[in-house]
Amino acid sequence: MKIQRRGLLISSALVAASLMMPLAAAAATPKDQLVIATNMSSMRGLDPNEINQLEAAEIVANLYERLIVLPADDITKPAPGVAESWSVSPDGKTFTFKIRSGIKFHSGNPLTAKDVEWSLRRLVKLGLAPSVDLRQWGLTDKNVDDLIKASDDTTVVLQTPEVWNPNLILYSLASFSTSILDSKLLAEHDKGGDLGREFLQTNDAGSGPYALRTWRVNDLLIADANKDYWQGAPKMRRVVLRHMPESSGQRLQLEAGDVDVATRLSSTDLTAVEAGGKADIQKTPGFGFYYLALNQKDEILSNPKVREAFRYLIDYDGLANTVMKYYGIKQQTIIPAGLPGASEVNPYKLDIEKAKQLLTEAGYPNGFSKVYYATPVTPEYEVAQSLQANAAEAGIKLDLQGGDHIGKFRTREFEIFSARSGERLPDPHAVLQSYATNANNSDDAKLTGLNAWRTAWDVPKDIQDMVTAAAHETDQQKRADLYAKINKAYLESSSPLITSFLRTDAKAVRKEVKGYIGHSTWLTRWDTVSKGE
Amino acid sequence: MSISQTSGAASGGAVAALDAVKKVATSFSVILTTLLGLLIITFVVGRMVPANPVIAVIGDQADQATYERVHKEMGLDQPLYIQFATYLGNVAQLNFGQSHVTKNPVASDLARVFPATLELATLATIIGAGLGIPLGIISAVRKGTWVDHLARVVGLLGHSTPIFWLGTIVILVFYAKFGLIPGSGRLDVYNEGLVEGPTNSILVDAIIAGEWEVFRDALLHVAAPALILGYAAMAYLSRMSRSFMLEQLRQEYVLTAKAKGLGQRAIVWRHAFRNIRVQLLTIVALAYCGLLDGTVLIETVFAWPGLGQYLTSALFFADMNAILGSVLLIGIISIVINLLSDIAYRFLDPRTR
Repeated sequence: MKIQRRGLLISSALVAASLMMPLAAAAATPKDQLVIATNMSSMRGLDPNEINQLEAAEIVANLYERLIVLPADDITKPAPGVAESWSVSPDGKTFTFKIRSGIKFHSGNPLTAKDVEWSLRRLVKLGLAPSVDLRQWGLTDKNVDDLIKASDDTTVVLQTPEVWNPNLILYSLASFSTSILDSKLLAEHDKGGDLGREFLQTNDAGSGPYALRTWRVNDLLIADANKDYWQGAPKMRRVVLRHMPESSGQRLQLEAGDVDVATRLSSTDLTAVEAGGKADIQKTPGFGFYYLALNQKDEILSNPKVREAFRYLIDYDGLANTVMKYYGIKQQTIIPAGLPGASEVNPYKLDIEKAKQLLTEAGYPNGFSKVYYATPVTPEYEVAQSLQANAAEAGIKLDLQGGDHIGKFRTREFEIFSARSGERLPDPHAVLQSYATNANNSDDAKLTGLNAWRTAWDVPKDIQDMVTAAAHETDQQKRADLYAKINKAYLESSSPLITSFLRTDAKAVRKEVKGYIGHSTWLTRWDTVSKGE
Repeated sequence: MSISQTSGAASGGAVAALDAVKKVATSFSVILTTLLGLLIITFVVGRMVPANPVIAVIGDQADQATYERVHKEMGLDQPLYIQFATYLGNVAQLNFGQSHVTKNPVASDLARVFPATLELATLATIIGAGLGIPLGIISAVRKGTWVDHLARVVGLLGHSTPIFWLGTIVILVFYAKFGLIPGSGRLDVYNEGLVEGPTNSILVDAIIAGEWEVFRDALLHVAAPALILGYAAMAYLSRMSRSFMLEQLRQEYVLTAKAKGLGQRAIVWRHAFRNIRVQLLTIVALAYCGLLDGTVLIETVFAWPGLGQYLTSALFFADMNAILGSVLLIGIISIVINLLSDIAYRFLDPRTR
């Protein structure tokens, strides 16, 4: 018996020891594979006409191609993609695209103008979240068959009911949602008229530099290089995305060399990675804001002096150097930096005394109490807590409640709300139409997609008219001047939609990885990536 | 349940058979009631989660028309009891619906994530029982000696150390500092995609496919999380088996056996151990159940794509079908393990026959 027990102990020790055996090779990703640590928990399928989220968009960007490309280093200059050239009619309503010949889908089917027509119509007809990319220019499921047509195998004509600035249309045709799908393949996989939706949840029907090999939800995605890609075979034979919900886990793997890119690191981990010297931190500016919304149906909050007071209660500089270091760039105006009409002006800073004075002028010398909804995620919640503390010093008691309150914001059932927005069109109009247009401020209008309506802000008519005019203006210089005016007017209106930081998305990229360039409209490419020593 | 009396004239065999049928029927109805209760509670709780499944699907910028259309598509415009009845009808046909997040049928999601958890929990149970039970028994036999104290300290540590903390420390020390173990996940990047199916347990699949390199890699990956969970299970199992054994050693038959001159070892292993087998089986089954649904934290720390992680993300996105499907699966597993331990119980303990 004793022998048996000793045997048990020895064998368990052996098992434990063998499990702890060091790996033969030091950790490093293979030279010809790119490994990206990401958080897949909000990824919903891979159908370009259905997804609405950053991680999925980056994958779709590499499985599919689009008519237009916006280069990562100069995203306001539309460049040829599947369309080798295009022309705009003198009246500004008709866009004619010449389709590059010789492109093949992963299935081997040739890509023709028919596929382009079918894909763009499909986006509009499905009418899911990303369909706004075309629907906002007046295309609907009723008129799309007349307005988007392939006139022959290499020509596609797109018409818009109204005249818009042509860049708006071209930018939209560079979006992940307007990816070109293999219509022949999807016809074979159509299930009860679903236009291949079910098939696309786990398969790809694209012509991009990478083809989907495996996708296990919330675990792993593998894409193989498309060796026959018309722009040449990508250097990275495989791209692997791993689901790692924990920031600390991503950081450790990045530092050990098991992953090349970490996409979801906390501020603390980003600081540590930057100090570690093995990776660079890429801050990609986006077109969204960290904003504070004051419900204008509330008597106190609709007072312009109170709105102005809140602008003095945000610690712009303190936050910029701490929690927002990687997540945002201080910006108090409404047009994102780098776009026509943007301004460097930031007139506000934390000033409790000034806020108190404004509250007194408004008739609330002793402050007031309000419920404040914010999402409990980094860095949004830290920003909210900071505001809460500053407001308390000015006599405003904010009852901060964490949780997912976006639904209440959409139905105007809130007092104060803060979150961050994200637009995908590199044009001032994308932000302005949500923040500065509200055609009908009544509850019944239900313009739930617009931040201005949600905030119940009856935007001054002159601002709304200018926003509309600028969207239709085809002269770029006139348009830029108009946007500069709008930007100034928005700031002076003391809007109840207060912007504090322009959103940036931070990724850590190991130093030996070259050519992985974060894209402001979520179209980061993998085929430009190579690995040095 | 009303039970009709069997006539005394019936033969003993028939009575026994009827008895067995009654037992089965009773336990079956208990199981169904339990599952129904579980579903109702989960459904209600899931509805109270402050996340909006529609916005989770369409995104925050969508207009009202899209919102209303998707709301209707998801059946959320129906009264709650109708939603629940529809759901039950589908479950009866083994259709758990589609996950809003993954867009796959929940059943196929579960078939993919559950084996990962099963693999982890099974290994942890083997480690926990294999080390914990002998440790507990030795500790009982050597009560009050340094061996006993040491075993109890080890057990106490395992019982009181938070698993996520231990996991993080293990990763920091053994992976980041010394590179002795691989990082998180189930496999290294090189080995991904070499083995696919049929069981979705990579260890088993690798054996079937004869991919020994993949097997070794999978074993290395599972080692740390399984050992950590196994340690926690060991702490519990050693504590319990120690007290079971102590109780036996106080019994009169032990005194009698001693008086008859039987050796300590024979008393412990041949007599006392046989008498606590059933109790041990019960606590191992309990530990196994606990591990199967309690791997959430370790799965998060080690990025282990199992049921715990799946359920966590489903809760986060108010993915009702996925939540209900996962909970139902956990419920069924617990019931099955309990049933199995019941059967083994009858088999091992003559008094229950």
